[in-house]
Amino acid sequence: MNVGVRSRGARIRSAVFGYANMIPFIAFALFPFYYMVITSLKKDAELYNLKAVPFLIQTGVITDHYRYLFFKTEFLTWMKNSLIISVVATSVSLVIAILAGYSLARLRYRGVGTFGTAVFITYLVPPTLLFLPLSQVVVWLGISDTIWALIVTYPTFLVPFSTWLLMGYFRTIPREVEECALVDGASRMQTLCRIVLPMAVPGIVCVTLFGFTLTWNEFTYALTFVSQTANKTAVVGVTADLIRGDIYYWGSLMAGAVVASLPIVIIYVWFLDYYVSGLTAGAVKG
Amino acid sequence: MSSGINRRRFLKTSAGALAGTSSMFLERAPAIAQKRELTFLTFNHFVPASDDELRRQAEVFAKQAGVTVRVDTIQGPQLFAKRAAQAASQSGHDLIVTGAADPFLYEQQLVDMGDLAAYLGDRYGGWYPFARDTCQTASGWRAVPWFWVAFPGCYNEVQFKKAGVQPPKTWDDLLKVGKILKKQGNPVGIPISHCTDANISFWSILWCNGGKVLETDGKTPAINSDKAAQVVEWYKELYRDAMEPEVLSWDNASNNRFLLSGKGSWIHNAISPYVAAVEKKMPIADEINHHNSPGGPAGIHSATGVNSLAIWKFSKNISLAKDFIKFLYQKENYDSFIVGGSAFNQPPLKRFAEHPIWASHPKYAMLPKEAEYVHEQGWPAKPNAAVQLIVVNFILPDIVAKAINGMPTKRALAWGEDQIRLAAQGKLETKGKT
Amino acid sequence: MAIGERALEATELARPSRLARVREWWEQEHVFGYSLIVPALALIVGLVAYPFGMAIYFSLSDYWVGSPGQFIGLRNFWEILGNEIFQQTVYNTFVFALIAVAFKTVLGVWLAMLLFRDFKFKRLIRGAVLLPWVIPTALSVLAWGWMFDSLYSVVNWTAIHLGLINPPGPNWLGLTGYAVTAVIAVNVWRGLPFFAIIVLAGLVSIPREYYEAAEVDGAGSWGRFRHVTLPLLKPVLAVVILFSTIFTFSDFNIVQVLTRGGPVNTTHLFATLAYQIGLTGGNLGQGAAVSLFLFPLLGAFVFLQLRYIRRE
Repeated sequence: MNVGVRSRGARIRSAVFGYANMIPFIAFALFPFYYMVITSLKKDAELYNLKAVPFLIQTGVITDHYRYLFFKTEFLTWMKNSLIISVVATSVSLVIAILAGYSLARLRYRGVGTFGTAVFITYLVPPTLLFLPLSQVVVWLGISDTIWALIVTYPTFLVPFSTWLLMGYFRTIPREVEECALVDGASRMQTLCRIVLPMAVPGIVCVTLFGFTLTWNEFTYALTFVSQTANKTAVVGVTADLIRGDIYYWGSLMAGAVVASLPIVIIYVWFLDYYVSGLTAGAVKG
Repeated sequence: MSSGINRRRFLKTSAGALAGTSSMFLERAPAIAQKRELTFLTFNHFVPASDDELRRQAEVFAKQAGVTVRVDTIQGPQLFAKRAAQAASQSGHDLIVTGAADPFLYEQQLVDMGDLAAYLGDRYGGWYPFARDTCQTASGWRAVPWFWVAFPGCYNEVQFKKAGVQPPKTWDDLLKVGKILKKQGNPVGIPISHCTDANISFWSILWCNGGKVLETDGKTPAINSDKAAQVVEWYKELYRDAMEPEVLSWDNASNNRFLLSGKGSWIHNAISPYVAAVEKKMPIADEINHHNSPGGPAGIHSATGVNSLAIWKFSKNISLAKDFIKFLYQKENYDSFIVGGSAFNQPPLKRFAEHPIWASHPKYAMLPKEAEYVHEQGWPAKPNAAVQLIVVNFILPDIVAKAINGMPTKRALAWGEDQIRLAAQGKLETKGKT
Repeated sequence: MAIGERALEATELARPSRLARVREWWEQEHVFGYSLIVPALALIVGLVAYPFGMAIYFSLSDYWVGSPGQFIGLRNFWEILGNEIFQQTVYNTFVFALIAVAFKTVLGVWLAMLLFRDFKFKRLIRGAVLLPWVIPTALSVLAWGWMFDSLYSVVNWTAIHLGLINPPGPNWLGLTGYAVTAVIAVNVWRGLPFFAIIVLAGLVSIPREYYEAAEVDGAGSWGRFRHVTLPLLKPVLAVVILFSTIFTFSDFNIVQVLTRGGPVNTTHLFATLAYQIGLTGGNLGQGAAVSLFLFPLLGAFVFLQLRYIRRE
């Protein structure tokens, strides 16, 4: 963002300052993950040795915990379920939220404010006990104990959130752009799809990422609406099979956490780079 | 008009994806149509072999009865949400595992098991009274006891020998030997925190000292007594001189690790640390042994958890589920279930307790004796809704924790009494009054 | 392409078919506006309104897990108000939310500014910083529990070996002050990326000309931040603070895994207490009352915040 003419010294100073600042953040963010990886590769005997150095693996790297995860549990099935559920639920929610968000942010009609508030208020509904009545609805719909139970219910918490986030982004797009398009004879739908959406890409990427993460990590509905091992999601499956009474399978649990987060990390890194660097160039100029 | 093509392509692919997922969902339908399916929800046993054995038996039963049996296992604490959701939606498994107050909480939702309880009781030497109490509500048996878990003393023989002390016979003994052991660098441990084990130990110690939490009526608080005050004082001394502050943060797994790490010399727990150590071939297994739960001036009493089997009223397979339960209790099946669970699954029926696994294994030999003095939490009251609230709100360990943090014992007990009154106030109205 | 499109529409307008009339109707601002929110409203009415109504009914009845209750008015609310554990929980929740959101706001904006710069290993670093948000909470919190374990705490091990504390070091999850700190730290760890990324998207959309103009006016980097970045970020910040506050108020996993409300209820939050009373305890009515207690207050807060956002 240093556009103006600045001395080389100032630029170097600013770079050093930037990196130095980044280090604590990275350490804070990464350490638990590092610790999970280490734990998943350690022998149990070393893990439970009070004299061992917790940071390191001193008695050899083992893959037993991963092997247990992949071959003794149905981890791959759970991952597949999580993937299907997250992709479908997020996409559906995204479409609904784009429509609603655009309507609430841009169009003027009676009741628009009330609708906006209503959408938001749903987000305030405390989720703790909501799953009980919702489980009735799931049974009425005849989809209990299938992955559809989750695909159908996840948009309930994704849509309000996504709508509001998108409203924020739609508002940053100058009205004149749309008005020009309308004056040129484009229909409203065309304006939305061809003019507004391309300009809201950062917002859409943001919402997609968050929606995907929220569904991927969701726990309560996934636990209560689905019982069969074959239909479980990764998070529920891992905790249901690897925490047994007062015995924790630490190694495999952490292995599960690592493997379950990798696909999203990759998507994130790829998308983020695209939307941050692709758009700084100035797609959002007024 | 590239967007048109895109849109069409999108529609096509999304329709394809939709069809794909829905066909996946429909695939199972024919299988259900062909055979009746009995479903059973239970917690995952901490000894995986126990679950394997259960599934094997389910398989055998399925073949005999010409049905399919599905056993779903989840983590124990997750069962609360699961049961509540199934009761709310009137749909779910046929057979579920219950514990503590569940037969009372779900009294109206569960099938009467009186016939089955009588049949099994007659056949196998009768039910232990403590097991019966957890299933027999005012309106009859709402579950049948499946297995219970003993809570003996688990200790490190080598460290005890080194300190020149004997396993404690009473809680006062524990205080004495604990002081010596802590000086040796091997403290003892009873959790004083928000976890199940903290509750179980408190009930045991209180009973041994002649105290109680609730009167027999199940609603009058009885915690604010001199006996309870003595117990709190005892806890304070134990905490100060024989334990370390870590007990304030423990969960159910922490005391296991404490013993298995070689640091801790004694814990009050199920035999799971030993079983896990043997299973994982940890050298410390040789050093661990068990002794009967300690006693006190009022005799020996120990709290237990009884796991029971119940059938939802909304189930469409009630009689099939009852047949399955009968099958699980056939002598040879129950015997192999005990073996599968490495002696952890203790039978609620007296005849099954004669299993050789206990007599033949010196470290388990004392376990059947525990049946003589265990009670479900809440005793002398029934494990009703008020007891459940007292237990899950961790009121009892919190009384101790408050006293340890400096609150005068009397005030801590008064706080507890207040909380217990609140818990009993919102008591569930039971329908079938006797 | 645009010309072709217009030509097409012009010919359609020339012969007024039924289709064109429908289209004209649909082009009206209010019709179009209503039709776009129909799917969202259908979802909310179908899948949120009923459960929410039931939750409210739970809170006004003596409903237990296994037995539908009767209407008892506000008695559950009175009862929990008089309960010391609930009072403690209210206090905890506010302390927890205030501190956690304050940390997340400051650190989040800071982190977003750092991520916005051009630097080497950009992909890797951005990915790394995002990790906490990505790892399934139910599992990552377990790892934190292990890091704060009373016996095997890597936090204490490190501090002891750096000579910062004396062995055995604090009992993180067993002493009130430490337990609250631990719970807040994990919440900040997890929520920070959410904050940073949304703010980053906001930064991206600030036109560069503004900075250039500010620089021409001789503003330093602090001046640019204060007079350009911050005012333009306000709408995005308002939304993200709002969401973060709600997330934080309804946090469940962290406390449930790390402390289950202990030591002596000093880390209980609304969600964990509601779960404890309503589900594990079976008193659904009271549990629902606990979880809904804050709803009017949060509602008012949101209402004000929304009005502010709309005016911006």
